[in-house]
Amino acid sequence: MKKLRAVLSLMLAFVLTLSLLSGCSSATKQQQSSQSNNTTQNAKNKDFKVGLVTDVGGINDHSFNQLAYQGIEKAKSELGVTVNFIQSKQQTDYVTNLTQFAQQKYNLVIAVGFLMKDAVEQVSKEFPDTKFLIIDSDITDRPNVASATFKTEQCGYLVGVMAGLMEKEKNSKLNDQNVVGVVGGMQIPPVDSYIAGFQQGVKAVNPDTKVLVSYTGNFNDPASGKQMALTQISQGADIVFHVAGQTGDGVINAAKEKNVYAIGVDADQNYMAPDTVMTSALKKVDVATFETIKNALNNNFKSGLVYFDLANDGVGYAKPIKDVPQSIVDKVNEYANKIKDGTIKVSDQVQK
Amino acid sequence: MSKVLKSIYMPILAVVIAIIIGSIIMLATGFNPVAAYTSLFIGAFGTFPNIANTLANAVPLIITGLGVAIAFNAGLFNIGAEGQYWIGAIVGTWIGYYFKGLPWYIHIPFALIAAMVAGGLWGGIIPGFAKAYTGAHEVITTMMMSYVAIYFSHYLLEFGPMMEKGSVPQSPLIKDSAVIPTIVPNTQLSYGIVIALVAALFVYWLMYKTVWGYEMRAVGFNQRASKYAGMNVPFNIVLSLSLSGIFAGLAGAVQILGVQHRLYDSFTSGYGYTAIVVALLAKNNPIGVVFSALLFAALGTGSQYMQLNAQVPGQLTDVITGLIIFFVAADKIIELFKTMFKKQKKEELAS
Repeated sequence: MKKLRAVLSLMLAFVLTLSLLSGCSSATKQQQSSQSNNTTQNAKNKDFKVGLVTDVGGINDHSFNQLAYQGIEKAKSELGVTVNFIQSKQQTDYVTNLTQFAQQKYNLVIAVGFLMKDAVEQVSKEFPDTKFLIIDSDITDRPNVASATFKTEQCGYLVGVMAGLMEKEKNSKLNDQNVVGVVGGMQIPPVDSYIAGFQQGVKAVNPDTKVLVSYTGNFNDPASGKQMALTQISQGADIVFHVAGQTGDGVINAAKEKNVYAIGVDADQNYMAPDTVMTSALKKVDVATFETIKNALNNNFKSGLVYFDLANDGVGYAKPIKDVPQSIVDKVNEYANKIKDGTIKVSDQVQK
Repeated sequence: MSKVLKSIYMPILAVVIAIIIGSIIMLATGFNPVAAYTSLFIGAFGTFPNIANTLANAVPLIITGLGVAIAFNAGLFNIGAEGQYWIGAIVGTWIGYYFKGLPWYIHIPFALIAAMVAGGLWGGIIPGFAKAYTGAHEVITTMMMSYVAIYFSHYLLEFGPMMEKGSVPQSPLIKDSAVIPTIVPNTQLSYGIVIALVAALFVYWLMYKTVWGYEMRAVGFNQRASKYAGMNVPFNIVLSLSLSGIFAGLAGAVQILGVQHRLYDSFTSGYGYTAIVVALLAKNNPIGVVFSALLFAALGTGSQYMQLNAQVPGQLTDVITGLIIFFVAADKIIELFKTMFKKQKKEELAS
């Protein structure tokens, strides 16, 4: 027993010494970085503090939490603002985390995801001097809250146009059947707007194409996504679009395995399967966070609904792989321009 | 007194070792463990609102942990507390928003009791009877029932009967008369903490001061011997699993009425699983459950603050949690170390 105590105390002493060392090194690092920029503008920007609260997905979710994180990192390097983030572990953390930032006098607090709506409504009332940005929500009655809303039906439409035109092409990955598939996560509006756009885009260029739509009912189960994609592929689909978060990893896997094309969502997911993911429908949360930080920094903060669409580069599609001929890309850009100038209106309602 | 010390000695040792290994991991990955643990502690207990939030996080863990501990005491592994929590939350939410014009002293108990009944049925009737009369293993049945409950909530909320009008998959807010009031303003601490503490005292009394509790524990020790002694084993199995479900269901309703005020579409609350760890660390003692729930709640709230102020990823507390579980579950390893030391000492003495 005595010996055990001795071992424990030795370990503790060891830990304490090492921690002193590591404490020193991090302090010097901070000094260096603060010396490098000391003009007044930079100092003012450095005083501007931006806090990011992720939802339970965390900053490595390959999706909007990660994009929001990229947005604040960009703001840090380009605008010189001070940024910090907290990853929420469960839904009851939202209020606590938002409050932490507000209490520590952060100028702008960013909440990722519509699930934080109640939390933002509550905390923004208690801290009227703090500005809030919530991604994917619709809070309109607060002077200090901006809600970023993405017209994802527009980028869904563009990748739909691309898929519809690709169906007319011939290569080793495409079959003779005129069928494409969509695998959705939960049947909720942020998912459905993509799917609605996709359906309309396909039909616009290739009215005979059959669009298979199915939902897995979750966002975190790649196995079920793979299963559903395999079913669609066996029904003739040779391009599968997923709107299913991590579940979509399975969709991309299935497409790779069966040698057909996949279309990624939210972020450019080409890196997951470079020959398979022909493009991705982009929801540029990074652009939204960066723009909002910039506006808030320049005393230009707009509250209420802030739309991000093709016109302000808030949505778009990722650079297609070389299997997609330039003629098709040109055509897609043509449609993009038509949406921008309002000739084409894209609905966000799924055709059942 | 020494008996108490002896029983809390192993869990505390497990926690200490986990914390030390956690700090070695932090050093190896380039973080300062002293700064990290300091901010973890400040985040959990440093200010009055932080203490309140820690207590608030402990409420569902205490109540669900009590449920799991009851089943453990009877030798049953209720791994489906998560599902019973969901059923309680669903029923609590529905009663909370559907009934209008009730005074709070009827509305709140009504919601809580209905949630308890629902959780009890979910955990007790199907898995309990299946275990008692067909021998179907409760680990499998409670787990499967848990999935049924979680997917049922998806059905209800995603364009189902409980979805609020609009675009977000969540239930309507519960009526004001069903809200358990908050004790400390601007925090999530509600009078649910009182319910949790009363529940802990009740379970202590039930398990250690009544015949029912004695019989359940006897069945847990040795089913055949208790049968030989004239106890009704199937009844005790159903009873303990039902009680287990009743508390998990109560936890779900208390969380809805006290903190969330509506049901969100989500994959897991995590409370049902953490509750298993809470009960394990507490060695199934109801009073111990309160303290071990507080520990895990503190790790939860503290980790958020630690991310913000020490830039240590919050997942690190998950690592510590995992290590605690490991050392509690593997307390045989610690026993082994102890006997090794003892042997050495004897050899030293002999030489």
